[in-house]
Amino acid sequence: MREHSGIYPRWLWQAFALPGVVWLILLFLVPFYAVIGVAFGGVDPIFMIPVPAWNPLDWNAESVIRTLLGFLPGGDYWVVFLRTTVYVALALAICLLVGYPVAYYISRHARRTKSVLLALLVLPFWVSYLMRMLAWVNLFAPGGYVNDFLAWSHILPDPPDWLNGNPVSVILALVYGYIPYLILPLLAALDRIDKSLLEAARDLGASPSSAFLHVTLPLSMTGVLGASVIIALPMFGDYYTPNIISGSPTTSMLGNQIDLFFHGGPQPSIGASLTLILSLFLAVLMTYYMYSVARATREVRDE
Amino acid sequence: MQNHDAGVSGILEALRTGRISRRQAFKALAAVGFGGALAPALSRLAAAEDALMGPGGIPLARPDKPVTLPLWEDPIKSGMEPETDGTFTVFNYADYIDKALVDEFGKQHKVKTQITTFDSMDQCITRLATHAVRADVTNITPDRLAQAVAGKLIKPVNPDYVPNLKKNVWPSLHSPFYDQESRYTVPYTVYTTGIGWRNDKVKEDIPNLSNPWSIFWNSQAYKGYVGVLDDSREALVLAMLYRGNYDINTEDPAAIDKALEDLKALIPICNPKVNITEYQTLPEGTSWLHQCWSGDLLGGVFSYMPEDTDPSVLSYWSAPIGKGPIQNDCWAISATTKKPVLAHMWLNYIVDNTVATDNFLNFNGYQPPMNSITPEQLVAQGRIPANLKTAVMTAADFGPGALQEMTLTPKGQALWQSAYAKFVSGA
Repeated sequence: MREHSGIYPRWLWQAFALPGVVWLILLFLVPFYAVIGVAFGGVDPIFMIPVPAWNPLDWNAESVIRTLLGFLPGGDYWVVFLRTTVYVALALAICLLVGYPVAYYISRHARRTKSVLLALLVLPFWVSYLMRMLAWVNLFAPGGYVNDFLAWSHILPDPPDWLNGNPVSVILALVYGYIPYLILPLLAALDRIDKSLLEAARDLGASPSSAFLHVTLPLSMTGVLGASVIIALPMFGDYYTPNIISGSPTTSMLGNQIDLFFHGGPQPSIGASLTLILSLFLAVLMTYYMYSVARATREVRDE
Repeated sequence: MQNHDAGVSGILEALRTGRISRRQAFKALAAVGFGGALAPALSRLAAAEDALMGPGGIPLARPDKPVTLPLWEDPIKSGMEPETDGTFTVFNYADYIDKALVDEFGKQHKVKTQITTFDSMDQCITRLATHAVRADVTNITPDRLAQAVAGKLIKPVNPDYVPNLKKNVWPSLHSPFYDQESRYTVPYTVYTTGIGWRNDKVKEDIPNLSNPWSIFWNSQAYKGYVGVLDDSREALVLAMLYRGNYDINTEDPAAIDKALEDLKALIPICNPKVNITEYQTLPEGTSWLHQCWSGDLLGGVFSYMPEDTDPSVLSYWSAPIGKGPIQNDCWAISATTKKPVLAHMWLNYIVDNTVATDNFLNFNGYQPPMNSITPEQLVAQGRIPANLKTAVMTAADFGPGALQEMTLTPKGQALWQSAYAKFVSGA
């Protein structure tokens, strides 16, 4: 039986969770159920606006099934789904390659400068995502500073067209846009690692790299997974980054298809179905993350 | 028997408003024992369906098939004084009307004014239909009129309050095909869909090509600098016109698939950007060849031309009458208005010569259909460069032979949207 302080009523502690629960219900569960209702619903015959089917008994699964079949090889969404997955995977890998050392440095080696570096990490949040992407457009335009510098320095005498349907630009823009969201939780995870474990490893003869590989890295894996999930989820649904940076059909992502069907026309149920299928796919990543966290917690508790 | 009658009425109403198909109606009527008796009526409805019925049983207007929209209520009486006090809300695309002109209207009539914006006509209709906005007047496109009237979103107009329509506007738009007798609308802007290009980059003589639309399929040299309008109708219509198919309101899956195939062929040729920012990218030179709305090109010259660039580097071509799309936007009175007389005054104000010209030349670059505005005069006054005379329309452009993208049936809309989704997916 859980103990509780006698001077406070038992419900007080549960009540602390109330704002979070209300928040989740209002801003996640209700909208998500609305998406389900639209996916399985119809459209108003006059205005062509979605008419959600709130009652599961009224659900029409035709649109969801048709959309799901589109994800099979050769289907309408197969190519764009594959492209989105590759872009997100590459962007995530680059984010980790760049972000992990940064987080590691700040956590382990930055002492006096730690607060300054943290402030610098937060700095991009002061400028809206959209503005940062638009800044990229100016920087990487054919006559922009980047190409001028590359040509002037003879690094690339004939610089590429970064903004004309170039997948590299879209992936790098995703990295640029989302990397702060990866570093911060990763930094928190690295900060939580008990330093005495590292000292013990070193005392037992482990080299710095061996201590990193056998202590720091495994203990930070839940942080890596958590940070990866945090940025992978919005990257999968992103549509404005490819729009702004490329605008070409060859770099469009699944989010662009969702935007198209939701933005108007008689098929909002396809947009909602795409959202649902994407959510299910992402739920797999999320489940793996939660499983890993639970396993790590269990291991710590058992030790 | 009364129950039977109610059932039959319900079925016919559902059929009329498009909630059920003719086949479903036959089945339902047979079930209540009226299948045979009502067969002639259903046949008439079937014939009407073949003539493409829109929402609420309103026929779908085409330039050669004009439609008189039904009055769902009587217009207001003549001779009333405009309402004063309170706020007058103008519902419109962002940056499509000069705020100074809206403020001036408010000052004239002693009301506060407010511009509320929408991103697309879909959003406009949705927000009006769900009462998310209480507008007094709204911008609307002809292809949405049947929806707006069937859904009682806009009010009928009493022409006595809008004398400027007959006085100042092109006669061809006094009683347009989409709204015969101008029962609900006054025209706002007119524009063509054509080709805009940088003549300092594109070397072909586009207007003199045997098929100017084909330039997009021969633009390998401009790869990365070519653009197509981000609009499901316009993009696919481009491909149809390239093939000489002028049935731009077709619902034939084969024609739409063929257009999709041609559009997809553009990707390896020129990797087109799909956007509606040509008003900025053409003047700035980040785009060299773009499917283009005439108003965007003129607006680009007025607002986005870099200081060190001569506007004569821009060229525009639009097809002859009946060979390329033309469009016009309108103003209508929102059904939720509490200031119906003042809303009529707005319709009259917007087709005032000074107001319309000011909004066109000093703000959005979209031409109003005013008798007082001619391409020759604009060039002579130095308001537009001579090379963009082609972006200015004349009254003769509107008529039964014109091509105008108009309302499709829901099935047709789905076909076009799905095809466009395949194009923009890059598959």
